[in-house]
Order: sequence, then C-alpha cells, then structure tokens
Amino acid sequence: MTAAVPTDSAAVEVRGLVKRYDKVEALRGVDLTVRRGEMFALLGPNGAGKTTLFSILATLRAPTAGTARVLGHDVVTDRDAVRRSMGIVFQEPAIEQRLTGRDNLLLMGLFYGLGSAAARQRAAELLKQLDLADAADRPAKNLSGGQRRKLELARALVTDPQILFLDEATVGLDVDARRGFWAQVRGLAATGRTVFFTTHYMEEAEVADRIALIDHGQIVALDTPQALKTRVGGGVIRLQTEDNARARGWLTEHGLAPEAGGQEIMLVHADPAAVLPELLRTLPVKVQRVEVHEPSLEDVFLKLTGRGFDGETPVPAGRPGGRNGGAA
Amino acid sequence: MIRGIYAVVVLDLKRFWLDRARLVAGLAQPLLYLFVLGAGIGANSQLGGGDYKRYIFPGVLGLSLLFTATFAAITIVFDRQIGFFKAVLIAPVPRASIAFGKIIAGALQAFVQGVVVLPFAPLAGVHLGVGETFGLLCTMLLASLTFSAIGLAFAARFSSTTVFPIVSNAVILPMFFLSGALYPLVTAPHWMQLAAHFDPVAYAVDLMRGALLGKFFFNPYLSLAALVAVIAVLAWDSVRVFNRGEDDSSLGATKFNWRR
Ligand SMILES: Nc1ncnc2c1ncn2[C@@H]1O[C@H](COP(=O)(O)OP(=O)(O)OP(=O)(O)O)[C@@H](O)[C@H]1O
Ligand SMILES: [Mg+2]
Repeated sequence: MTAAVPTDSAAVEVRGLVKRYDKVEALRGVDLTVRRGEMFALLGPNGAGKTTLFSILATLRAPTAGTARVLGHDVVTDRDAVRRSMGIVFQEPAIEQRLTGRDNLLLMGLFYGLGSAAARQRAAELLKQLDLADAADRPAKNLSGGQRRKLELARALVTDPQILFLDEATVGLDVDARRGFWAQVRGLAATGRTVFFTTHYMEEAEVADRIALIDHGQIVALDTPQALKTRVGGGVIRLQTEDNARARGWLTEHGLAPEAGGQEIMLVHADPAAVLPELLRTLPVKVQRVEVHEPSLEDVFLKLTGRGFDGETPVPAGRPGGRNGGAA
Repeated sequence: MIRGIYAVVVLDLKRFWLDRARLVAGLAQPLLYLFVLGAGIGANSQLGGGDYKRYIFPGVLGLSLLFTATFAAITIVFDRQIGFFKAVLIAPVPRASIAFGKIIAGALQAFVQGVVVLPFAPLAGVHLGVGETFGLLCTMLLASLTFSAIGLAFAARFSSTTVFPIVSNAVILPMFFLSGALYPLVTAPHWMQLAAHFDPVAYAVDLMRGALLGKFFFNPYLSLAALVAVIAVLAWDSVRVFNRGEDDSSLGATKFNWRR
C-alpha cells in the first residue's frame, strides 16, 4: 500500500491517455508532464477535454487507454494514494449547499480520516486563512459566489494536498474576487505545491510557469507563456493615423494585411521592429500614435486552437496537433 | 473504514436534522392507520375496536420505520447528482464504508421516527412497561436496520430520483401488506401465510408485536436469524453494486465499468 514513491517523480505524468465516452472520444492520446512545484495551465476551447482529463487524474473516471500518474501514483492501480495526495476544485459546485461552510469542511475532514477534533480545527484554520470566518456558519447556499468558490478551495485544501487541481475555479467571479482567489493559490504555490489549472481567463494563465493547449482531446502546444507568444510569430503593430481608411488601403497595396475594422489599424507581423521604421517613413498618411506589442495569450489561443483570426478552419480531428505556429 | 462510516452517518444526520420538521409530518401516516383505519376496521373485527388498535400498533410502527428508512435511502440517489458527493467519492473512503454508513444513518432516522410514534401507544390501548419498551426498542432497531438495508439495496441501483420512488412503492407496499402488520397472519389465507415467510417485513413486525404483546407467529429465533441474514446479504449486495462502476462517479448506477 505505502509503496515508496521516488520523490523525484513528476507531479503529473500522462502517457497516451485516451478516454472514450459512449460516442465521443474526449481524449485522444494525451501526453503531458507537469513538474513538481509548477504552476501549470491547461487551456482549450469548450469541450476540448480539460474536465475529462482532470476527472481521470482525480480518480473519478477510468481511462479507456493509456496511463496517468499523480506524484508517482498510478490513478488506476493506486487510487487511494492519489486521493490522499491531491485536492481538486471542480468546475461545478461540490459543496453541500444546505450545510454551513464549517460543516462542509468538517465533514470533508472526517471523510479524509481526521478525527472530529482535528477536523474541526482544520476547518477553523482554513476558514480563517481564506477569510471566510464570518460567513462560515451560514448555509453555503446563502454565500456570495466568490465566497462559495473560496469555500470550494478550502474544501480542496482540507488535507493540505501536495498538488492542487483547479478546473475553472474562478468562473463567474468578479475581477476583485478572482485576484483574491489567485493570491491564495499563489501563496500555496510559493510553498512548493504543484498547481495544475484550467481557465478561460487568459490573464490568469499568464501566471503559469508553463501552458499546455488542448484541442479536440489532444495537446497542440506546450510551452512557457513567453515561448507560446513567440510561436504565433512576431508581434502586433497598432497605428492611429489622420486617415485610417487611406492608410489601410495603402498598407494593403503594399502587401501588408491590416485586420479589418477597429478604431485603430491592427497589423500582425513576423518582425514588427524591422518593418516599422521603413513603414513610418513611407506611409503617405500622418501617423499620430504607434504601439507595438507582443501577441497576447488570447492571440495564441485563437491561433493554435485553430479558431484563428484569419478564419482558419479548426484543426481537423485526427491530425496530430497543429503545432508549427508560423508567422501570421 | 470505521471513520468513513462515521463520516457518512454524520453527514446524513446533519441533513436529517435540517429536515426535522419531517418527524412531525411523518407522524401523520402511522396515526392515520392507527386511529382511522384502526377504528374503522376494528369496529368490524373479531378482535373488537380496542383490541384491533392494540394489535396493529406494532404493525403501524413497522410501517413508519419502513417508509422512513426507504425514504432515507433515496438520499443516495440524490447524492449521485450533487457535487458534494463527487468530493466524497475522491476521498480515500472504501465504498463499503459508504454502504454501511448509509444503512446505519437510514436506520437511525427510521428509529427516531418510530420513537416519535411511541407516546401514542396508550391511546391505542398499548401498555408500555419497562420490559416491553426495552424489548420493543431493540426489535425496532433491528427492524430499522433491515428496512434501511432493503431501501439501500434498491436505491443503489437507481440513478433517477423519479423512477426510484415509483419502483420502491411497487415493492415496499406489497411487502407491508403481506407482512401481517394490519391483520393476524394466523387466520390469513394459506398463500398469504406462505408469502409472509419470504417477507422480511413480516419477521420484523412479528418480532415487534411479540415484544409488545407476547405472542409470536414465527419462532422469534427464526425471525432474528432471518433479519440478520437479510441485513448481511443486502449490505454485501450494496457494497458490490457501489464497487462495480466507479467511473462517472456513478457508485454503480451506470453501465460504465471500472477497469482494474
Ligand atoms: N459524461 C459524459 N458523457 C459523454 N460525453 C461527455 C461526458 N462528459 C464530457 N463529454 C464530452 O467529452 C468532451 C470533452 O468534455 P470536457 O468536459 O472534458 O470538456 P472541457 O474541456 O472541460 O470543456 P469546458 O471548457 O466547456 O469545460 C465533450 O465533447 C463533451 O461533450
Ligand atoms: Mg470543463
């Protein structure tokens, strides 16, 4: 049972993971390694398979094929060890709405084998740590959305897990509540815990050490946020001119492809720094303002998941990932 | 294991406590049987009105236990649908703990509901001395465990909260009517006596009635053995069902099978 697990094993190691539901193939051969202590983000469009992957890692579902290990423990053969070592915030609520926050945490403690006294103490600790002490004795359904998500986090933290899975943990929260939530999570990460999360808010993904992009049940890219942005190629130039319409026309004539619409002219280019001086010199319209910036993660997401802004068709199912990521 | 059972029991009793108004509402049914049905039928019964109420009192108690226990079992069907149970299912809790915990929690709820009926005993002409009360409480506890196990064995197989009550009524009501709760089995037609031998509710009611009135239809040792056997078999069965489909956090209710 307590098979010694090498401490140098990865936090999450997924190999050739396939999950088939009745008809849908939600995961089609996922390979992924999350290192210990990493903040790791999994991004992907709706239905890409993120929740499915998490539920396999959390031992809720069995893989159809392939293997997955959490902190070195196999999720099928060594379930209890996985269960003891991880905490998860599900995409949907997983607290008993009719019970108070304190009771929810207390019960979780009991389910994880803490004694009554220990469970009560742990609940009080977490409520304090997450700033929920005031709301703790109300039925969970009477909490605000933000408080409820924090309670979910508290629930996931009852056993002080070494690895934390967050499946869109902040969905529906306002900016402030999200900041508060992530401050807590970063605090945990700072103590060496692994955080593996999904989100549809790109600015949340920025804090990740590495990001994996999943689409149609396959990982299509895996890198640091920085490297992913470079992969889209170059950068974005924004111009404010005296006559945008005329400037657009000129740019198009000269083989540059400004994006349609917008108050400003937006131009994606492989090497903005190189073309910009020449462009400013020759453009026959007076330029009032110039801005050059890197592609955002949003750009990366749209580009690599095949819902590209240049109207690319989605990555056809079965094609082994659309990596390459050339210039726009 | 023990801790898991304890946790399930605490969870269910906490939720039961929120619904404590049910205890009062749950009184309606037994009292209706006792004082309306009892008075109406009793007037025409060979036993006479007063005696009839006395006679069916343990049966009505059984009814109360049976319905409360099966209703408590429904929570497992609800639980499958609420997120909280997902969190429970990824805790390192053996599925057997969940089954045993559910049976115990359901039995306790039924037992409490039964106890609430007891103060009405004098009105039904039942004398509750110390000895009778003790005997009755013990048999009630055993009956509660049996009914709770029956409820869970059913509930474990259903994932729909609309289908389960229909099916359970289709099974629970006949079990109740065949049990001799409302009439003496001794004078019942032969086929009904025969059927009662296969009805755990009959043994449970007979034990309670024996404890109260001192007359048994079955040999009490046979009844005891039958109830213990029913509890053991059904608990084992629920554990088996819970373990068979861990995928989909289904606790066995779907066709997805856990592959080892
Ligand atoms: N229980 C299920 N039965 C059948 N198909 C399912 C089930 N759960 C998910 N799917 C399907 O599997 C695919 C992946 O779903 P999944 O929930 O993993 O996506 P996701 O990446 O989490 O999406 P989202 O961003 O919307 O949460 C989808 O096509 C979905 O319809
Ligand atoms: Mg999801």
